[in-house]
Amino acid sequence: MTEDLSREIFGNLGETSKAVFYALAVVSSGVFAWGVWRRVQLWRQGRPDNEPINWREAFQNIRTRALAQRALRGARPKASFAHRMLFWGFLVLFIGTILVSIEHYSAAALGREATNPLFHKGVYFIIYEITLDTFGLLMIGGALWFARRRMRADSSMEHRTADWLVLASLLVLGVTGYFIEGLRIIRESTPMPGISFVGYGFSKLFAAVGVGKSNVDSIHFGLWWFHSVVAFGFIAALPFCRLAHAIAAVFSLAITPKPLGRMEAISMEEIEETGEVGVGRLEQFRQRDLLRLDACVSCGRCEDLCPAHEAGKPLSPRDLVQDLRGHMESATPSALHGETIGAETLWACTTCNACNDICPLGVRPADYITDLRRHLIGEGELRGAPATSLQKMQRAGNPWGLPAQDRLTWADGLDVPTVKDNPDFDVLYWVGCSAAYDRRTMKVARAVAQLLARAEVNFAVLGPEERCTGESARRMGDEFLFQELAATNIKTFTKHNVKKIVTHCPHCLNSLRQDYPQFDGHYEVVHHTQFLGELVAAKKLKAAAVMNESVTYHDPCYLARVNGITEAPRALLPDNLKEMPRSGCQTACCGAGGGRMWFDDPAEERIGQGRVTEALDTDAKTVAVSCPFCLTMMTDGIAAKDDTIKVRDVSELMLDENQSR
Amino acid sequence: MKIIVPCKRVPDPDQKLRLNPEATDIDTAALTYILNPFDAIAVEEALRIRETAKPDAEIIAVSIAPAEGEADLRTALAMGADRALLVEHDDTLDPWNVARLLAAVIERKQPELVLMGKQAVDDDANQTGQFLAAQLGWPQATFASQIEFVDDGLLVHRETDLGIEVIRTSLPAVVTADLRLNEPRYASLPSILRAKKKSIEQTTPAELGVQPEPHVRLIGMQLINSQRNCEKVETATELLTKLREAEVIG
Repeated sequence: MTEDLSREIFGNLGETSKAVFYALAVVSSGVFAWGVWRRVQLWRQGRPDNEPINWREAFQNIRTRALAQRALRGARPKASFAHRMLFWGFLVLFIGTILVSIEHYSAAALGREATNPLFHKGVYFIIYEITLDTFGLLMIGGALWFARRRMRADSSMEHRTADWLVLASLLVLGVTGYFIEGLRIIRESTPMPGISFVGYGFSKLFAAVGVGKSNVDSIHFGLWWFHSVVAFGFIAALPFCRLAHAIAAVFSLAITPKPLGRMEAISMEEIEETGEVGVGRLEQFRQRDLLRLDACVSCGRCEDLCPAHEAGKPLSPRDLVQDLRGHMESATPSALHGETIGAETLWACTTCNACNDICPLGVRPADYITDLRRHLIGEGELRGAPATSLQKMQRAGNPWGLPAQDRLTWADGLDVPTVKDNPDFDVLYWVGCSAAYDRRTMKVARAVAQLLARAEVNFAVLGPEERCTGESARRMGDEFLFQELAATNIKTFTKHNVKKIVTHCPHCLNSLRQDYPQFDGHYEVVHHTQFLGELVAAKKLKAAAVMNESVTYHDPCYLARVNGITEAPRALLPDNLKEMPRSGCQTACCGAGGGRMWFDDPAEERIGQGRVTEALDTDAKTVAVSCPFCLTMMTDGIAAKDDTIKVRDVSELMLDENQSR
Repeated sequence: MKIIVPCKRVPDPDQKLRLNPEATDIDTAALTYILNPFDAIAVEEALRIRETAKPDAEIIAVSIAPAEGEADLRTALAMGADRALLVEHDDTLDPWNVARLLAAVIERKQPELVLMGKQAVDDDANQTGQFLAAQLGWPQATFASQIEFVDDGLLVHRETDLGIEVIRTSLPAVVTADLRLNEPRYASLPSILRAKKKSIEQTTPAELGVQPEPHVRLIGMQLINSQRNCEKVETATELLTKLREAEVIG
C-alpha cells in the first residue's frame, strides 16, 4: 500500500509555469550570489590571510557551533531556544527542498514520469512528510517567538524594517507551505494524508469552507506561486538582511578562532616598513576580522557579560562590532578612530575575554579593541596615570618605576634563594611586579615562599633580574614595550636555564604561557594553586581546612576563563565554599585586566563594583582570590563599600593552616 | 610660528639617590634620567597649539646637557616636536647661566613663543623662566594653567596662591607651565623609533658665545632620612609614653 505513496512534484503546474519558475530561480540565486560577492569584496579590503584552514577543526566547529547550535549560551535561554527552533526548522525544510529537487532531476534524467518518483515515495515519503511537518512547526514557533520578543523589546534592541520583513517572510513561507500541502491533499487525494499532519488539518479546514476538487486547482495554483515568489525573494534578500550572519558564520567558524588570551604578534620590521602600528584604518584589520564583523547578528550576549558595560563605561562589545560593521559597509565612512570608535570606549576594556568566549559565532570583540589600541599607543593617544605606568615599565621594568634592586624587599627576614644562591633549582618562582612592590601583595609572595620552603621544594627567584612580563603593556596595545620586556626576560631565563615556572599571578602566567612562546620562550608554567595542589597531594602541605568563617572564591579571568584553571584553587579551599552566581569559567572581572589596573578611576566609576556586591551578597567573611590584581581591586572595592570582610590569596589561607598545627 | 620648548633632563624621581663620596652632590654614576615632567607638559602644550590654534607652528626642543642628554630630547621628538637642539655641556649650571644659554639660542632662532616647565623636579629652583624673560626683555606669564591665543597675543590663566589670575600678554613671550595645564601624551616605542629620523642639532656654549659664570656654588648636600618606624600601640597612655620617650612632646 505504501508503494503508491508519493506526491507529484510540480503537480498542477504547466510547462509555462515551470519555465517562469526556473527563470525566477536563476534571478533569485543570481541576486543571492551577487549579495554574497559584495560582502566578500568588503572583507577583501583587509590584510590578506595566509594562515591555512585546519579542515578538521573547521568541520568540527561548524558541526558543534552551527549545526548542533551548542555555542548558544549566556543569559538568554528563551532566545537561544527560539533560535534553535527557527534554525533547525529552517535547516530541515531547506534540506527537504533540496531532496525534492534531487528527486525531480534524477527522475527526469532517468526519463521517468512525474507520477513515478525515484525515491520520494513509500516509507521514505512517510518519514519525510512527518519530519518536515514537524520542523515546519518549529520554524514557525521560533519565528513567532522572535516576533513576540521584538514587539516587547526595549530600545536597546536595534529595529530595522528588514528585521520584521525577515520574520514575516519566514512565517508566510511556513504557513503557506502548510496551506499548499492541505490543498494538494484535496487535489491529489493523496493516500494516508495523516502523515502530513498539519497539512491534513488544513485540508479538512479548507474542505469545511467549501474547497473541493472543482475549485482547488486555481487556489492551489495561486497560493503555490505566492509561496514561490516569497521564497525566491527571501533567498535573494538573505545576504542583504540580518540573516547574512548565517553565511558569514560558516566562514567565521571555518577559520578557527585563536585560543582565548592569545594575541597576534607584530614584527618590528613590518612597522619600520609601514611606519604604522595596529589598526588605524579598516583595511589594516585582517580579512578574517572583517568577515567576522558580518557574523555578528547583534544578539547582545557579549554586552550582557561585559564588566565595563555593567559599570556604565562607554563600551558595549556588541555596539563596537556593529559600529565597525557599519564603518565597513559605509561608502563614505567617517574616521575609524575618534568618530566610529572613541578612545574612551577602547580604554574601557579589561580584556577579560568574556565577550570573546561567549560569542556563538567566533566573533572576538576584545581582539578588535587590542588591535585598535595598538594604533592609539603608536600615535601617543594615551595620557595620565596609565601612560605614566607604561613609561615606568619602559625605563624601570615595572609599572611603579621602582628600582630593580628593591625586588626582594618582600622577602625581608625570609630565607628566599635567588638563582645566584641556588643555580640548580628545579622550579623558578616568578614573583611579578605586584608582589615585588605592592605592600599588600608582598604578603602573598611571603606566603608562597614559606609554603614552598616548608614543602622542601628546590626553588629560586630571579630577584633583581626579574622584569615586568609586559602582559598589561601588550594588552594596552604597547606591543614594542612588551616585546622588549619579553626579550629581556627570555634572555634571563636562558641564562639561568629555566624550565619550569610557578607564579601566583594569572596575568604573568598567561603571558609566559601564550605570549612568550611567540618569541621562542618555551617553559612549563603553572599557577601556584596548581603547584601547591601537587604538594598537598604529595602530603607535603595541608590544604586550608574547614574554617569557622565562611569563604567565597573569586575566579580570576585569566586563570579561569582564559586558562581553564578552576578546580586547582578550589581543591585548596574549604569544601563549604560559598559560590558566587558567576563563578568558574563564567566568572566576572574585577576590573583590573587589560591595563585597567593603571587607570585612576574614582571608586564609584570603577569596573568590578558589581562583582564586589556579588561577593558581599554571599555573606562570606573571607573572599579568597588567586591574582594580585583581583586582590587589590576586591580589597579597594570592599573598602569603598565600607565593608570589613577580608580578601586573601589562597596561599595565605593555606599558610594559616600549615603554620597553626 | 616658531615655539621653543626648553627641556631639562632630571634624575628619575622613582630611584633611590645616593651622594658622591665627597658629599658635594648626588652620585650620578648609575643615575637614570627622564624629561622634566613640567617640560613634558610644555611640549604637550606646544603640540596642542600646533593641533588647534597654529597649525603652522614649528616646535623646537632645546636641552643643555651632556651628550647623553640626547635621549631626553628624543622623548620630546617622539611626542611630536619637529626638531631639537642640544647645547652640549657637562657641568651643572645655575638657573641664571641656563637662562643665558637659552637666551643665546633664542636670539638665533627668533621664536615667537618660549614654553617651558615652571620648574625642574630636581632642584625645584623655579627661576629659569623668569631670568630668561628678564634677559630677553620679553613679557612673562608663569604658572600657566590655560593658554589661549587672542588677537596678536596670549590670554594666560596663572595659578597663584590667591586663585587664578588671568593676564594678557603680547608676543614674543616666555610662558612657564604649571601641573594642570594638560596631561602629556605617551611617547611609545614606535614613536621613539620614528623620532630617530628627526634631526638633533648640536652646539656648545662656546659656539653660542656664552661663557658660563656661576652665580651659585653648591657647597654640600645631604640625604634626608625618610625611614619610618611603625609601631602599633594599644592605649592612648602608651602612645603618650612613647611620644615623650621620643621627645616629640614634653
